[in-house]
Amino acid sequence: MRPLPYLTLGLSFLLCLNAIGAGRQNTPSSPASASNGQAAATARIVSAAEAVLATLDAAGRTKAQFPFDGPQKTRWSNFPTGIFHREGLRMGDLSQAQRKAVTTLLSVALSQEGLTKVNDIVRGDEVLRTADTGRPPAGGPPAAGPGGGGQAPPPGAGPGTRGPRVIFGEDEYYLAFVGAPSTTAPWMLQFGGHHLAINLTMAGSDATMAPSLPAAQPASYSFEGRTVRPLGDENDKAFTLINALDDKQRAQAILPYRVADLALGPGQDGRTIQPEGLRASALTAAQQTMLLDLVREWVGIMNDAFAGPRMAEIKEKLPDTYFAWSGPTTNGSAAYFRIQGPTLVIEYAPQRGVDHIHTIYRDPTNDYGAKFTRAK
Amino acid sequence: MLAAILAVGSAIDLGAHRLDEYLQAARLAIEIDRIELQLELTPGVAVADAILSDLDRDRDGRISAGERSAYVSEITKGVTLEVDGHPLEAHAVASTFPDVAALRTGEGTITVRWAATLPELSAGAHTVFFRNGHRRDVSVYLANALAPVNRRIAITAQRRDADQRELTIAYRVLSATSR
Repeated sequence: MRPLPYLTLGLSFLLCLNAIGAGRQNTPSSPASASNGQAAATARIVSAAEAVLATLDAAGRTKAQFPFDGPQKTRWSNFPTGIFHREGLRMGDLSQAQRKAVTTLLSVALSQEGLTKVNDIVRGDEVLRTADTGRPPAGGPPAAGPGGGGQAPPPGAGPGTRGPRVIFGEDEYYLAFVGAPSTTAPWMLQFGGHHLAINLTMAGSDATMAPSLPAAQPASYSFEGRTVRPLGDENDKAFTLINALDDKQRAQAILPYRVADLALGPGQDGRTIQPEGLRASALTAAQQTMLLDLVREWVGIMNDAFAGPRMAEIKEKLPDTYFAWSGPTTNGSAAYFRIQGPTLVIEYAPQRGVDHIHTIYRDPTNDYGAKFTRAK
Repeated sequence: MLAAILAVGSAIDLGAHRLDEYLQAARLAIEIDRIELQLELTPGVAVADAILSDLDRDRDGRISAGERSAYVSEITKGVTLEVDGHPLEAHAVASTFPDVAALRTGEGTITVRWAATLPELSAGAHTVFFRNGHRRDVSVYLANALAPVNRRIAITAQRRDADQRELTIAYRVLSATSR
């Protein structure tokens, strides 16, 4: 059985994530400064990744590292432990020093907003764990059973038992390195768990976060007296955009059928569906700005040094980008939307209500850095 | 500190991971001379036993080759494919089945691919109609046309029923000289 202080360490992980914003940088103003910014960010991320590895013994490093061209690259899911088996370093198995190193790595790999989003998603899963087990998430008694906190009771033993032994909570997030951290050779940082898959592929001074899956359940919860909505800005900006369209634009944007889930979620690598909805070339300049601002909610999860150039690429292809909507247009309703362009797919898919959201971010030309690694 | 966390609302739907539905995602690829259909069927945990009882007919805990073949035939019966209003015969060309354990945990996806040969179509407008009627009692559906690889094919519209059980794809075949 794990010692009691462990839960406190786990919670400090979340709090540190919230406090550190070292990954944020100003958007570069020229290609040269962009390139310099990307190179500097790459160096910081590689250094932080190596620092994580330095905290591990040989067995830990073996557990954390995978070949770049092996199957681990595409092994990610939105499912919780018990339904999906993840490889890599389990946060619940790490020491305080190791968790601190992971926290630092995430703080340089992601933007400040991205870090907050990841933090809020992880914390939401802790809320889910509490609701599932009925145990308080911190300061409460240690969890019973092998593995300690976060373990749902076995089937038939109470709430949350529907077949598999599903486990929620902050301990159930995993870090993996696919390829060796390098400022020149391609490698990938994977951080994920229930409702979260961050796949950050680095190749020299280039980086892509496609494909990644930020999701949320609950989509709204209270923490220290404030309401936390991990994907609240995505939701609100989308509703603002759909309501900024005129009748003719809406008629094109709104799909007359139900979309129950992501069309290009986990396991759908390499597929491109026919785009639908309203072409962004039919938007006014103000509406286009709103659409780009919405897109940035996903792109901006990664370090600003990489998000800036990526947004420039998406903006350039905006005329060939489509915005599609399914569902009511009153904020507070459950509505699906998709943004699809030549190098972009974003889907936002509420799951039978507004409190459980799946989303996906892809680049059909550059998932897992395919474009970067081909060019190297 | 996190004792301050309280879920908004009185109940969180822990079963909301599509555990009680059978997600069936169809993707259609249109070529000049054929239609390729792929269906991915993922039973949620709560319906896995019902699907397994259809699959593992002798209840021996394994899905034999014969049982797989029978299940593919069953799905095929529920699939309708037409071009320009004329029925197409879809032949299952490949299928993969997860093991029983994966199906029981809701992680397993059954994948079936079909191919249907198209008659020689003139250049101009055509429609493909698809309907999936398999296990309507427990299913939710997705249906999408894949972006055509062949530049002689241009999809002009997709129309669906409200639940995406039916998909009509309008497309144009460009003549070989008009590219």
